[in-house]
Parts: sequence; C-alpha cells; structure tokens
Amino acid sequence: MASFDSLKIGDQPAPLVCGPLTRTDFVRYAGASHDFNPNHHDEVYAKAGGNKAVFGMGMLAGGYCTRLLTDWLGLGSLKRLRIRFASRFWPGDVLTCTARVTGKRADGGQRLVDCEFSAVDQDGEVVIRGDATAALM
Amino acid sequence: MDQNAAGKTFPPYEFRVERGKIREFADAIGDPNPVYRDLEAARKAGFPGIPAPLTLLRTFLYETPDSKNALGVKDWSYIVHGEQEFEYLAPIVAGDVLTAQDRIVSVTEKESRRAGKLQIGVIETRFVNQRGETVQIARRTLVETGQRISE
Repeated sequence: MASFDSLKIGDQPAPLVCGPLTRTDFVRYAGASHDFNPNHHDEVYAKAGGNKAVFGMGMLAGGYCTRLLTDWLGLGSLKRLRIRFASRFWPGDVLTCTARVTGKRADGGQRLVDCEFSAVDQDGEVVIRGDATAALM
Repeated sequence: MDQNAAGKTFPPYEFRVERGKIREFADAIGDPNPVYRDLEAARKAGFPGIPAPLTLLRTFLYETPDSKNALGVKDWSYIVHGEQEFEYLAPIVAGDVLTAQDRIVSVTEKESRRAGKLQIGVIETRFVNQRGETVQIARRTLVETGQRISE
C-alpha cells in the first residue's frame, strides 16, 4: 500500500479492468445492494423505457473504483469519497478504472492525499468520475 | 421538488451490519480482498472485525422512502441520481448496530444550458453506532430534470 512520502502528484495505480460485464453481474449487485430499479434487471421494462437493454448501476461502477482505491491506499485510510454519475453502461461493456493523485496536504495532524478517479468504457466514454481523500502514514 | 422540504429530518432507523452481507457485497463488486471474508486478515489490517466496504451503507438507504418522498417529486422518471458522497469517520465492522437518520440538506434550482431548469435535492444520512459514535455520513444528490431520462 502506498505511503504519504512515496506518492507524488500525478501518480496513478495500475488500472483495474472489469468485464466484459454481464446481466448476471448487474443482478448480483442488485441483490447485494438492494437496488431493485427494474432498469437494471428487467430487460422488458428497460426496453419499454427506450433503453437498448438493462444497464448497470452507477454505484456498481463506483464499487469497482473503490476496489482500485482500497488496493492502492488502504481501506482504513479513506476519509471521504464522492461518486458522480456521468453515463450508462451495458452488458458486454468493459470498464477501466483509473485514479490519480491530485494533491497532498497536512490537516490537523493528518497527512492527506487527494485523488480523482473514473471508470471509462471501451469507447472512452466516462461512466462515473469521482474524488476521494485518504489519510496516510 | 418541494423547496420547503429543506431542513426536514426523519425518524431514525436501525440495522445490524452483517458479515454475510459484507461478503455478498464484496463479491458483487468483484473485490477479492480477504479482509471482507477472514477475521484474521481483517485484524492484521488493523480492523477490530470484518470491515464494511466503502459504499456498503448506500444499501441501507433503501430502508425508508420517507426522505425521498418528502422531496415531493411528481414523476421519478425525471430524476437522476447525480452524486453520492461518503465521509468515513470511524471503522464499521460486522456486528455493529447502526442507527441512521435522514435530513434534507437543501433543495435548490439551477439553470442548465443543456437540460433546462434543474432542481437539486440533497439528502444526508448520519450513521451512529451502538457506542454513540458517528461513524459515517452519506449524501446523495438527486436531480430533477425538465425532460424524461431513463437512468
């Protein structure tokens, strides 16, 4: 896991590639997260609403990004996290999660690292973006 | 959205953070980290028990619709979940009993060049554990657009 001194602004962990995603991935997350919006599991409903298929939950893409962050910075070090939802993703998509250090600072005796992250599909479209702060040793 | 909803608070609700739920959630986000499955691994990583994944508590925001309902949305197909934020104040581990309370922080209006008039509601949920410690604060931002959207 990264330490405060070892990180520089602009540093990135190795990207995390998730997929090709399946309907089963969406359904598994629906059960685990209690997100039963039918757009995510009911193809008939989703198509009636004008969608080409069911689509994934933004929070699932967010979950993939948290895996990248916790492997990189440590689960216990995260102080805040914000996920902004940008576009939909579909069965068959491959999401690539990346992160980057955007700042380092001291605050009240804590040594903080700010970073931004995103999940992008195979066509380069941003699915979610976000930012997080970790307190590191 | 109802501009007068800002500042409203809602009755607290309680739930237990279960070890099986943590594992199920970690599986669903494809995270093989042993801290979510093995008490020894969790302790070695400095946690007093099996820790909650970072976005797990979003799951419990489905427990009560009261705060969402108070926003006074007429048609939910015009609503997008714009943003979700978490502040982590102390570890949450399996076996913790959390009390959650929702508050509508703000309801504001914004003009968007692309989507017309937007109404933005922010609901904050504070989670307090069985020792009275505030362990996490979640904020979700719901955006009502002038046109129907499918997400």
